[in-house]
Amino acid sequence: MATVKLTNVKKIYGKDTVAVQDFNLDIADKEFIVFVGPSGCGKSTTLRMIAGLEDISDGTVEIDGVVVNDLQPRDRNIAMVFQNYALYPHLTVFENMAFSLRLKKVPQDEVYERVTAAAEILGITEYLTRKPRALSGGQRQRVAIGRAMVRDSKVFLMDEPLSNLDAKLRNQMRAEIILLRQKIDTTFIYVTHDQTEAMTLGDRIVIMKDGFIQQVGTPTEVFDMPINLFVAEFIGAPKMNTFKTNLICEDGKYYVTPYGAKIEVTGKKGEMLREAGIKGGEILLGVRPEHMTLSTKDDPAAIPCKITVNEMMGSELHLHVVEDNGDKLIVRIPTVTLEDDQRKSLVFGNTIYVTFEGKVMHFFDAETEKNLLV
Amino acid sequence: MMKTNHDNRIRKTGMGAKASRRLGNTIVYVILVLITAIWLFPFFGLVLESFRVETAMQQSYLWPKEFGWDNYIRLFKETDFMLWFKNTAIMGVATAVLQTFFVLSMSYVLSRLRFKGRKGLMNLMLILGMFPGFLTMILIYKVFTDLGLTMAMAPVGLIIVYCASSGMGYYVSKGFFDTIPKSLDEAARVDGATRWQVFYKVIMPLSKPIVIYTILMGFMAPWGDFMLASYIIHENSAGMNVAVGVFEWMSKTMVNENYTMFCAAGVVVALPVTLVFLMLQKYYVEGVTGGAVKG
Amino acid sequence: MDEMGIVSRKDIVYHRRQCPFDFIRGFVYRLLPVRMIMKRLNDLEYLKLNKLQVLLYNLKLFFCAILPQFFKNIGLSILNFFKNCGLWVKNEVVDIVTTFTKGNWAVKLSFLFFGFGNFYYGQILRGILFLVFEIIFIGYMLIPSGGLYWLAKSNFLQTGKTVGTIQGRFEYNELYDTDVWVQGDDSVKVMLYALLTIIFIIAFIYTWRLQVKQCRICMDITAKGKKVKSGKDDMKSLLDDQFHKTLLSLPLFGIMAFTVLPIIYMVLVAFTSYDAAHDGYSNLFSWVGLEHFNELMDFGKGGLGLAFGEILSWTLMWAFFATFTNYFLGMFVAIMINKKGIKIKKFWRTVLVMTIAIPQFVSLLYVAKLFDSAGIIGKLLGQVPFVSEYLTSNNFISLWDSPIVAKVLVIIINIWVGIPYIMLMATGILMNIPQDLYESSRIDGASAWQQYSKITLPYMMFVMGPYLLTSFVGNLNNFNVIYLLTTGNPLNTDIGTAGGVSVGHTDLLITWLYKMTLNSPESKYYLASLIGILVFVVVAVLSLIVYNVMPSTRNEEDYG
Repeated sequence: MATVKLTNVKKIYGKDTVAVQDFNLDIADKEFIVFVGPSGCGKSTTLRMIAGLEDISDGTVEIDGVVVNDLQPRDRNIAMVFQNYALYPHLTVFENMAFSLRLKKVPQDEVYERVTAAAEILGITEYLTRKPRALSGGQRQRVAIGRAMVRDSKVFLMDEPLSNLDAKLRNQMRAEIILLRQKIDTTFIYVTHDQTEAMTLGDRIVIMKDGFIQQVGTPTEVFDMPINLFVAEFIGAPKMNTFKTNLICEDGKYYVTPYGAKIEVTGKKGEMLREAGIKGGEILLGVRPEHMTLSTKDDPAAIPCKITVNEMMGSELHLHVVEDNGDKLIVRIPTVTLEDDQRKSLVFGNTIYVTFEGKVMHFFDAETEKNLLV
Repeated sequence: MMKTNHDNRIRKTGMGAKASRRLGNTIVYVILVLITAIWLFPFFGLVLESFRVETAMQQSYLWPKEFGWDNYIRLFKETDFMLWFKNTAIMGVATAVLQTFFVLSMSYVLSRLRFKGRKGLMNLMLILGMFPGFLTMILIYKVFTDLGLTMAMAPVGLIIVYCASSGMGYYVSKGFFDTIPKSLDEAARVDGATRWQVFYKVIMPLSKPIVIYTILMGFMAPWGDFMLASYIIHENSAGMNVAVGVFEWMSKTMVNENYTMFCAAGVVVALPVTLVFLMLQKYYVEGVTGGAVKG
Repeated sequence: MDEMGIVSRKDIVYHRRQCPFDFIRGFVYRLLPVRMIMKRLNDLEYLKLNKLQVLLYNLKLFFCAILPQFFKNIGLSILNFFKNCGLWVKNEVVDIVTTFTKGNWAVKLSFLFFGFGNFYYGQILRGILFLVFEIIFIGYMLIPSGGLYWLAKSNFLQTGKTVGTIQGRFEYNELYDTDVWVQGDDSVKVMLYALLTIIFIIAFIYTWRLQVKQCRICMDITAKGKKVKSGKDDMKSLLDDQFHKTLLSLPLFGIMAFTVLPIIYMVLVAFTSYDAAHDGYSNLFSWVGLEHFNELMDFGKGGLGLAFGEILSWTLMWAFFATFTNYFLGMFVAIMINKKGIKIKKFWRTVLVMTIAIPQFVSLLYVAKLFDSAGIIGKLLGQVPFVSEYLTSNNFISLWDSPIVAKVLVIIINIWVGIPYIMLMATGILMNIPQDLYESSRIDGASAWQQYSKITLPYMMFVMGPYLLTSFVGNLNNFNVIYLLTTGNPLNTDIGTAGGVSVGHTDLLITWLYKMTLNSPESKYYLASLIGILVFVVVAVLSLIVYNVMPSTRNEEDYG
């Protein structure tokens, strides 16, 4: 249970390969923070710097107000779960989990109590005498988490703990981590490249790219108000559609004109544009696939597209469509809203008309790709 | 119609493949038996000739006309062979212990720890390895003579020579250590282990094969060494290892009296060493193959 | 090796701009029959070529781009090395000066008194160690028969002067009424002590620099308000973040004392007249400069140049054949044993492994005798009409007396010795080849032979490439096989004696060295040293070329 504070943290490999650049972050006590970003964005490096597994080139890392830059990992009182579990192959599950306690010379009674308690929570009691080799991927993952749990560490670090599991198990473990979090009640720092994990687990999300923090915020914040095009496209699946288009201001009302259609910006977004006093001009318009709807030919706000791929996901349909001048869009339609014959017409080669409402739009500067409203 | 044709063809080629494989296997068996014969012939001959009693000279027939233990009795009673054997065995054990410590320390450090000068150190050892190592004996012999570590005391000197620079032969075991995932070290360090604890609590228990391999290599070295040993021993029987001691018997002037005794000595030396080796063959193979794959 | 610059097909760009090593490129150009102008193809153009064109293109690339690039890189890296050295010295000097000017009085004093700054900042343990080192050093240098004494006595590297100054001699002694040996200097020892003194001086300078630097670091840390490491912290860190120092101390000391020091010593010996007649004790030896290098230019009978040339060429030939015969045959045997459907695989393997287990002096000495005139095989072969004719017409008694036959025999017997190693390695690699490669190739319609030639062979070649180099170097110095089989015989009458020993047809450089240095009245240590240096040059050049030009020592991920 501790706060973690990173100030101007920097990581440089060799002479001039910058992995992490000016990383500033205050993590509150008992907060669940997720670092997310594409591979090579510096998220794991940052985590490893907090753990003490990488030297910090510049800046300071504080845990509970103490600068830990020069401390060895073992002196930082942290626990960590690794992507490939890193279980000691020669020790039983029990001894794996007891390893850190043994190093601290904790008496056997207490070791037994703490390990069995953790095993109970994770449901691995029956495997305690086995070697890691004899366990399945999910079980190994639990042991790895258990090993971190038995210690009273200040910070719980997790480095892509679910990426070696298959999809089904991953969903299950994700839910369990949420439960676990309520039970352990400590500060979590979680690294992942999967935006779903980030959205579902984090109190706050740190989105990184090329060593820089792009945005820090709650899942709702980063979803509703992405600070720039990168965050907008990274968060949410399938990724956001973008159009290069014009924003027009007529009589205090704002319109966008994607592919000849003319759609009014309504709701909160319109007010915000007005408040910001934006004049209009060429912008990048972003619309999430789930906010696109089917329309008809005579709708002035309709954009005609040809279907290239139809992905039936069960509860929803992902339509990959291509606009006349070659731009590709994705439309996500809940299956329940479709009639049978309507669904039959949504096949390769057919032309459909799509549109979207004014209140769901995101506006980005055409050059800087920054959100106009933030 | 088409379908059956197709099936027929499959069946035909299938039969052909089977037959040709059987033929291939037969050829391979013949070659393997031949190889076995060639490889075992000298050892077979060695054992047979060591039991030959009728003459001590080399003969152009293999099967002794008269079997007996005479050569072995002579070997132990009339020569210093026992002493040489003892010397070599002591050297083998000492070298095994010391060399294992040196080699494993070096390879562990180079494989798993990162520090300033690591690359430089590896390059230095690579370059040192390009000098004919034998030439270091010019100086070492001189110094050892002054220290009294040659001649009768040669086994002590030789142990030092075998072990002192053995850190340079770190390649095979480094290759092994490289295959152990780095995250194990990291997990242990986060769990509160010092690097020393990582070494003996995590890595060493996982390294049994390479430890045995290194011990085996250390133990074998003194049995096979002739070059360094003959230099340090300098023709002093009290300090000889078996290789240097027995080598004399095969010189042109002495071979006629000692040939069968040499065979007996060969059997006595080869038997224990080979047994130990074959018992630990698994680890040896692991070491050799691991080293090759890692380069 | 990385610093040499990596040259691969992809990143060779043939620059026309001037570089300091253009003359090498010019040289290569003149060597080629036709002046080829290299046009770089991009990947798509390269893919369009047919097999022959690919071969031609790669050959051209090799001679016009890779080789010149290689030499250029070596040149550049040497240049860079000196540049970096210069830079380093400059930085050090600047750093030392600023440390002195900016340092407080404690730091300034530690320029004179080792560890003073450490004491000042509370690092008692380090301070004591530094101070003790300084006292020992100064004491050792100044005491009679200490460092300075030996250094002066050795006339270090002064051509024409003796190593040591007092020649031992017989003098009439009244007590014994006879000539008695009066001991003088021993050149060997004088040179050793002088060398140790020089090393000690270098260590002194290094330590001085180290402790000055540490003082400064302490000053900076205290200025920031942090605590410096105490002696207890230092001891603890030896088991943790300084653990490498703990583990390396003994092995490194061993290497320094028993390899580095003797090798430096050996190199120095090449510049002296150290031989059996001038053994340093009964006769001082002296510094002769580069004189012996001239001796190597003597190509007459018994001349060193001739002997060295002949022996080197046989050594290279031997290493080449020994390596490649083993390599291919060993691989062949491994493939046979691992063939599908072959039973008792373990038995076949164990039979071969026996040769590794049995000490070489037993097996090799015995096998050598088998081929002798009285041996079973020797006798049998001697009865073959063609062979017996050859032997009698040349007055050879046994097969070992014929230079050519002896050479062939050692190579053949070496196959017997060497195949098991390769077989084991190849077995390991064979098992590592991913099975799906074979499955996918079978679906693509590959025959057994095609699978072998397109998958197995390239894979093995690739993985074992680096091993070939090691094995080649190992064979250059393969003392055991040659010496135990032939002791270098039969004698080479063209050379006669060289370096004080008679040279045989099967002598390798290493056995020649061995004979030369074995304490005989003819021992010529300086010559052995000289040849040792040459062997080093040969091996180093070979390795450099192989590492830089052979593709399989790089791109190891390709088969990952």
